[in-house]
Amino acid sequence: MTSFAEVTLKLLEGFGTTCYIFILTLVLALPLGLIVAFGSMSRFKPLRYVVRTIVWIIRGTPLMLQLIVIFYGPGLLFGVTGFDRVPSVIVAFVINYACYFSEIYRGGIENIPRGQYEAGLVLGMTKVQIFFRITLLQVVKRILAPMSNEVITLVKDTSLARIISVVEIIKSAEAFMRQGLIWPLFYTGVFYLLFIGILTLLFRYAEKKTAYLKV
Amino acid sequence: MEYLRVEGFRKKFHQTEVLKGVGFTLQKGEILVIIGASGSGKTTLLRCLNFLETPDEGKVYLNGELFSDAAVRYSDRELRKKRLRFGLVFQNFNLFPNYDAKRNVSLACELLARERARAKKRELLAAEKGIARLKAYRRISAEAAAMKREGIAESHARADALLAQVGLQEKRDAFPYELSGGQQQRVAIARALALDPEVLCFDEPTSALDPELTGEVLKVIRGLKGRTMIVVTHEMAFAREVADRVIFMADGVIEEDGTSEEVFGAPKSEKLKAFLKRTEEHGWI
Ligand SMILES: Nc1ncnc2c1ncn2[C@@H]1O[C@H](COP(=O)(O)OP(=O)(O)O)[C@@H](O)[C@H]1O
Ligand SMILES: [Mg+2]
Repeated sequence: MTSFAEVTLKLLEGFGTTCYIFILTLVLALPLGLIVAFGSMSRFKPLRYVVRTIVWIIRGTPLMLQLIVIFYGPGLLFGVTGFDRVPSVIVAFVINYACYFSEIYRGGIENIPRGQYEAGLVLGMTKVQIFFRITLLQVVKRILAPMSNEVITLVKDTSLARIISVVEIIKSAEAFMRQGLIWPLFYTGVFYLLFIGILTLLFRYAEKKTAYLKV
Repeated sequence: MEYLRVEGFRKKFHQTEVLKGVGFTLQKGEILVIIGASGSGKTTLLRCLNFLETPDEGKVYLNGELFSDAAVRYSDRELRKKRLRFGLVFQNFNLFPNYDAKRNVSLACELLARERARAKKRELLAAEKGIARLKAYRRISAEAAAMKREGIAESHARADALLAQVGLQEKRDAFPYELSGGQQQRVAIARALALDPEVLCFDEPTSALDPELTGEVLKVIRGLKGRTMIVVTHEMAFAREVADRVIFMADGVIEEDGTSEEVFGAPKSEKLKAFLKRTEEHGWI
């Protein structure tokens, strides 16, 4: 008989991988998304069109498909060894989420009245100074709500990693199913709920902290 | 002495020519008031002067020297330096909503102070060679840090003084959304003064305000007499009172110009006569 403690330990192991994918994706996709956003708003037309087309493709196809392409693609298409399993997951997730984030950033940035930007220019500020000193915090406040949705989706999307045999928490639970044990699978839900509960609290805290910004 | 000379400004948006060769001169310390119906190109003229638009043609001379030429493409760096010599107060204030009144005023100064300290540090370090540079590093860093602190303290003191000048000392901690339109515009004026521009421009500074709030803003502008200023306004009584020179713009050209007495007292062109008559009837346009 497999004990509750044993299952918990095993699931925690998988949950570690889940967290790893989540955190690394977030840390890399947040800045990359900003770069993609600037690309999609560039005044240089070819760059803008290329970036927007990439964003369209990434947002228009399932993440699962992208994951498969990145993991199996290099070997099938070019006969070279591609990334390992976990790095494949990270690459696919980072690209996918950077594109989603970029659209959120773009919406946030484009909604900042142009007058503030011009006021900064007239005061001799550089574009970079204006962005970091004036625009960014307002953008952060505006995008907090859509960001929290995406981030919560990301937590659950990590379970897609199991289709290329990465042992995250769902995959760990599936191992018990093969022994005829179904409850560990439902038990994983508790992990997700706790994790997302904490994230929700964090976002609520951030919203409170930026409430003074009436923008 | 002729202080500012604008020569042959032309500007097209798509196919429409908005400025069709606008030029004028201004003495140091004079106030130039620009009047004219909406759409006549007044805003575009001020935006060209402040490098927010690039004119298609035209030159500006400042203090006897060629200051800008539409035929020259300036680098971002050069543009920045040039922008510092002009100031612009916008019709709808454009305060930074994420900062309180004081920071709105001090921010640009503070950033410049930081940059100057950084540049100084680079310069001092570059003067030292080899191992001496390593030895001097701490001393130079400390020197630059002190310079930065001093610069920032100065910006803050200046912001306090300017807020006092526009009568908003007690509102220094207020965010823009906590201020009335008139107060916001006064903060914006203090902000424009922070860098002590040589020519300060106002684009209809009171037209976004409720009538009862225009007085406080006009009073602040009146108090700046002695600065070289260009004021676009529909407040005819105010214009008449403060203007040393007046330009009447119509359809992208200067239809008439002269002293306040000449333009308001003895208008020559039919367009100006009609314009003044209309403003008299409506109070403003
Ligand atoms: N960025 C722009 N693009 C296209 N047309 C513009 C732009 N800015 C101003 N215009 C046009 O130029 C004309 C003059 O505008 P403006 O300088 O704002 O006049 P005023 O300030 O005297 O009302 C208007 O017809 C306006 O529609
Ligand atoms: Mg205008």
